[in-house]
Order: sequence, then structure tokens, then C-alpha cells
Amino acid sequence: MSQEDPSRGDGAGQWGLVALAWAAVGVPLLWGVWDTLMKAAKLFR
Amino acid sequence: MAGLLSRERIVAGPGFNRWLVPPAALAIHLSIGMAYGFSVFWLPLSKAIGITHSVACPADMSFLQQVVTTSCDWKISTLGWMFTLFFVFLGSSAAVFGRWLEHAGPRKAGVVAAFCWGGGFMISALGVQLHQIWLLWLGSGVIGGCGLGLGYISPVSTLIKWFPDRRGMATGMAIMGFGGGAMIGAPLADILMKHFATPTSVGVKETFITLGVIYFIAMLAGAFGYRVPPADWSVAPKVPRHRALTTQHAALRAEMITTRHVHVDVAWKTPQFWLLWWVLCLNVSAGIGVIGMSSPMIQEVFGGRLINLPGVPLSQLSEAQKAQVATIGASFAALLSLFNIAGRIGWASLSDYIGRKQTYFVFFVLGGCLYASVPTAGRSGIVPLFAGLFCLILTMYGGGFSTIPAYLADVFGTQFVGAIHGRLLTAWSAAGILGPVLVNYIREYQIDRGVPPAQAYNVTMYVLTGLLVLGFFCNLAVRPVAERYYMSDEELARERGLLAAGGRS
Repeated sequence: MSQEDPSRGDGAGQWGLVALAWAAVGVPLLWGVWDTLMKAAKLFR
Repeated sequence: MAGLLSRERIVAGPGFNRWLVPPAALAIHLSIGMAYGFSVFWLPLSKAIGITHSVACPADMSFLQQVVTTSCDWKISTLGWMFTLFFVFLGSSAAVFGRWLEHAGPRKAGVVAAFCWGGGFMISALGVQLHQIWLLWLGSGVIGGCGLGLGYISPVSTLIKWFPDRRGMATGMAIMGFGGGAMIGAPLADILMKHFATPTSVGVKETFITLGVIYFIAMLAGAFGYRVPPADWSVAPKVPRHRALTTQHAALRAEMITTRHVHVDVAWKTPQFWLLWWVLCLNVSAGIGVIGMSSPMIQEVFGGRLINLPGVPLSQLSEAQKAQVATIGASFAALLSLFNIAGRIGWASLSDYIGRKQTYFVFFVLGGCLYASVPTAGRSGIVPLFAGLFCLILTMYGGGFSTIPAYLADVFGTQFVGAIHGRLLTAWSAAGILGPVLVNYIREYQIDRGVPPAQAYNVTMYVLTGLLVLGFFCNLAVRPVAERYYMSDEELARERGLLAAGGRS
């Protein structure tokens, strides 16, 4: 791998893969955060 | 199979996007983070035989008989031993296998972690089926605990090498997942248990199997997503001007970041290792102490005020009112878990700007002030102030975990940072015992001497503040490693040659 490669994907495919990978972990995490927020909201009712 | 998992198979090719590595790490950390959510199983498991109620064991039944009995239910305190096993085996396995991981590579470690964690669930399911608590301890506690340790440290070294310019942020993203795993796993387990519950089963066995399969797949996906950078790879540092606040600050930060490397077998002989061990241990002990008492504390300190009955202590509330207060206590714990994970990514990212040592100074100075303010906030009767203090404290607890790998990389270099981090995690295991023991002992001591329960927390908070003061001095004493501890160029070349023998990097 050349030094000029700053580890940024060259094509749109790499960024598409990045988006997919982040969605795969981000969606469950956001669901968990949302569920926790709903539980925490009882504190302020 | 061995070849598929080997380090040479995961050297990144041209055009690889380094932003693919953090989600791979998150997949593993979110899975193993369910360890924090295991308490969701305690109540159903305590009714595994009685189904609608817990069948108590005869008073004269010995501990060993309780371990193998199939005629009465497990106590929650017996099930709770799983937490101790988790954190003891997390620290031990990280310490023992960290060196192996550096050579084997993160994919192999991630796959082993997946087998341990997923397999642990399967053994636990068998334990529920046969009603043998020792199988749960062995499955999830011991084998799963080893999976926790390996999974936890598997991405650290790789992330630091991919993100030399943002070490804190990179490891913070992964370690945030460990804090957030229970947020997904606990409600999911709850849904699954309700789904699988029948008149003859509490549904835990099926839930264990389902979760085991889900986590195994998620962790394998993460492990197979890992890539290591080639040996000659580097990223041009693009340090924004505002990162170094002043010239003096920049010099201070540069002094604390080495470009050389300390061998893992030498690192633990340095004073810096033990100072950082205590820095982590004291920060985590104080944090664990606070987490353990946050929910009962808000209930006992504010009592009826939480349900618009100011001035009515908890002991004078009706059972229904106590249940309402308990729900608010649980909501408070949920709120704290959000701040815990926010702190993991937030403080670790900030440490890239202000420096690791300075970040820990904030934890110990600001954190110490906040801990010491809690009794006053309790006396003030202002619930949002009290809750706000705890939320800030919890960000620093999480931040302590996520900033330490980058601190180690700064002090000892990146060559063995994963293995050194693994050994340092024994501080976590120690804190897992020290924090709760300290808090419980102080509380019982005071209550035995007639201190009202609501006030018994005050001295505990001051003792925890004392732990942070000690941590402040440990952090203050951290200096760059002495010249004699660094690897020579020949030693480094030999070490890298060993890695190259198994791969290109």
C-alpha cells in the first residue's frame, strides 16, 4: 500500500460499505439509546 | 481455517477505508457489552422451577447442594456471582492472552472471543435446562468472561494503528460499544423471554440460545471486518491548529507522546505502568461505587419528594408508592448509562485535543469536586442538581475506560499497546472488587452505628473522593518512560520480523 493512500476509500463503493457497516451497528445502538431514553424520561414526569 | 484467520490475511489492501474498522470493533463490543445487562435474567432465573414464584431451598441445605439441586430455585445473590466471574475473567484473560493477540492478530482473537461468548450462552442454556447453576457460572462466567477479555482488547491495537492522529476517538468509539451493549441486549432479552415464556418455562433457555446465535454471528462479522494496516502505512497527521491550545501546551503534549516502543514484558516493570494501573483502578473503583448506589441513593435521599410528597421519607411510603419511587430509581440508572456511553466517546475524543494526562486531571479534579458535592446536593433537596452531578460523574467513569488505551499508546508506544492494555485491565478486575466492597462496608458500618440510611451515603461519597485524590497524585507522577526501557532498533526490527513471519505487517 502506498504512502499516499490515506486509508480513504477511492471509490464510492468503499464509502457505501462504510455507510452499510455503520448502519449495521448504528441502528441497533440507536434503538437501545431510544429505549433507554424512554425509560429515563420517567424521571422527569 | 487457520490461514483464513491469520494476520497476513487481514493486511489491508490499497484503497481500504479505515472507517470500516470502528464498526467492526463496535460489533464485537456491543455484543460483549451485554455482560452489563445480565441482571435482566436474575428475576426469571430465580423462578425457573416455581415459574410464578421462587421455590426456596430448605434452610439446612449446604452451598454445594444448592449448586447441584434441581428441587429449589436459585437465589439472586447466587446468580449475581456471574458478574464477579465476568470481570475477574475479563481482566485475567486480557492480561494472559494480550501478548498472543499481538502476534495472532485481531481476527483470530475476535473469532475465539465469538466462540467463547456465544458458546458461553449455549452452555448456560444447558445449565438452565438441567438446572445446574455451575454450568451458568462456567459457561457465561468463566468461558464467556474469557470471551469478554479477548473481545475487549481485540480491536485496541488495530484501531490505534489505523488512527494515529485520533487515538482517543478511535478507541473511544469501540469502548463506547461495551458501555452500550446492555442497552440493546437487555431490552432484547426482555422481549425474547416474554416471547418464549410458557406456563412451564420462564423462557430463559431459549433466550440464551437465541442471543448466543445472534452474538456469535455479530462477533464473527466484526472479526472478519478487521483489517490491519501494512507495516509501512502511515497517515499524514492533520492536526488542526486549535488542537494545540498554546505552544507550551503543545510541547507538554509532545513530551508525553513517544514515537518509540516498550516491550510488553518490560512495560509492567516500569513505574508508569503501575501508576496508570492505579489511575484506572481508582477511577473505576469510585465509579463502580457510585453506580452501585445511585438508584438506592436517589430513592433514600429524596424519598417522597420524587413522587410529589416532599418531606415523606422512603420508609413511611406505602408499598405502591415505594414501587413508584423504585421505578424512578430504575429510570435514573438508565439515564446514567446514557451518560456513561456518552463519556466514553466524548472524553476520549477530547483527549486527542487536550492530551491524556490533562484529561485524567479533569477526571480527578472536577470529578473529585463533583463527588464531594453530592451530599450537599442531597441536602439541598434539588433533584435535578443531584441527578446532574451523577450524570457528569458517570461520563468520567466511562471516559476513564476509553481514554486509557490511548494514554498507554502515548507512554509505551503502539507496538504492544494491545497486550499492555490487556495487562492493565487487571486494574478493572481489582476495582470490581474494591469499589463495591468499600461502599458496602462503609454503609453497613455507619448503619450499624445508628446513622440514618439516607445520610449513610455521605461518608461513602467523601471516601470515594479520597480515592480520586489518590488517583490525582498517581496521574501527576506519570512521566515519559526512561530511556533504558525502550526497545532498541534491533529489538524492534526482530519483533516486527516475527510478525512478518506470520504476515506482512
